[in-house]
Amino acid sequence: MSGIAKGFQYTLNQLTKEKVTYDYPRKPIPLPDRFRGIQKFHPEKCIVCNQCMSICPTGCINLTGKKHPDPTKRGKIIDTYDLNFETCILCDLCTEVCPTGAITMTNNFELAEYSRDGLLKNLQWLDENDENIREESIL
Amino acid sequence: MIRTEEMLLNVGPQHPSTHGVFRLVIKIDGEIITEAKPVIGYLHRGTEKLAENLQYTQIIPYTDRMDYVSAMTTNYVFCHAVETLAGIEVPERAEYIRVISMELSRIASHLVWFGTFLLDLGAVSPFLFAFREREMILNFLNELTGARLTFNYMRVGGVKWDVPEGWLEKVKDFIPYMREQLSGYHNLAIGNEIVQSRLKGIGKYTPKEAISYSLSGANLRCTGIHSDVRKIKPYSIYEHFNFKEAIRNEGDCWSRLECRIEEISESLNIIEQAIEQFPKTGEILGKVPKIIKAPPGETYVSIESPRGEISCYIASDGKKEPYRVKFRRPSFHNLQILPKLLIGQNISNLIVILGAIDIILGEVDG
Repeated sequence: MSGIAKGFQYTLNQLTKEKVTYDYPRKPIPLPDRFRGIQKFHPEKCIVCNQCMSICPTGCINLTGKKHPDPTKRGKIIDTYDLNFETCILCDLCTEVCPTGAITMTNNFELAEYSRDGLLKNLQWLDENDENIREESIL
Repeated sequence: MIRTEEMLLNVGPQHPSTHGVFRLVIKIDGEIITEAKPVIGYLHRGTEKLAENLQYTQIIPYTDRMDYVSAMTTNYVFCHAVETLAGIEVPERAEYIRVISMELSRIASHLVWFGTFLLDLGAVSPFLFAFREREMILNFLNELTGARLTFNYMRVGGVKWDVPEGWLEKVKDFIPYMREQLSGYHNLAIGNEIVQSRLKGIGKYTPKEAISYSLSGANLRCTGIHSDVRKIKPYSIYEHFNFKEAIRNEGDCWSRLECRIEEISESLNIIEQAIEQFPKTGEILGKVPKIIKAPPGETYVSIESPRGEISCYIASDGKKEPYRVKFRRPSFHNLQILPKLLIGQNISNLIVILGAIDIILGEVDG
């Protein structure tokens, strides 16, 4: 019976210990800087190199580019950028290959939507997602 | 004379004690199991087939999702296989980070097992204590990798990020805390007479049976067979560390619990030594081309995951995608002995025997 008594004593000792649970929906959860949340897209930095699209293991990124409006400048600028969060696994490979840092991770993770269509995010939405952006860069 | 009728019973695939989507069709005569047939495949995603159309770096996130409780080890086995095939050297600092993160992952995995196993037995409080400590480890790994479970941290030739400032000190402080908690677990549950009487002599098998069923990990070591890959065929930098292999002789559920608890304390010893020897400077990624192409040929490597010997076979035809990838998933092999163990047992021992094997359905189904 001594084993059971020791168990009770151990549990009783915990009563005075500090609380370990989070008051999550009311207070935001503290997350580290490297946390892989929903991506932020910087359209002005994108050079339409297509590397994020080709590295994506689930093929959830779709992008198109257009000619630079300024005829004196070469290269392309981004036209559309769609990210499908139905298939995105937030693996962070897109930010790893981006040569200009046009796509970065944020600490935002709340993605619940009422319809599946709501999970298809476009360029404007990803551009406006500009809170809690990761500071540390892998470049 | 009382006559009992044979009854067909479905356990799972949504039963919480099956630890995922595992289904077991059993026939019971009164309370005694007369036949057991496991049905698997509910979580099959075809990782190995998907890998044939992906580049080596793209496969790493898929390995996270096989053994999702200890994703670091599955990350490592794949990267280790590609490195062996392509002859890529890994910097020492990266190896140290890998070992520390793998051992932290191993402790987290064993804590999940310890908590849920006792929960299956009907003890709720050990689960809460085990998850409290696991949460601390997940926070460390979150800080290091940016994710709590699906790390995608190892890279072919090294690791993705260097350790953040002050991280090693935090892990160092965690070691004595965790040792204290381990002795607390002994007081709380392991030393409890009810737990012991529920586990001793249950689900017993002999070393010969264990080998013939191709068991590995704590399931094999509980029968007295030396099988820790870190000891018998050291990989990475495990030969730099002094640690014991957890061995028991009884071959029952109780000895499996003892093996895993001992493994936690041995993992703490490894982390302690790794932090002491940690190189102050150095690269975290070796010389690796941007698009990795393994030379034509094949390789087979195996490492010790928390569940047993996990291996990866890669056949390459020189392209940027592998020709064939095959994983030897320890949970799948360990599960095979279950029907044999269950026959003749009381139905109340079913969940205990299943729990003691420690399966992860992501790994069983691939």
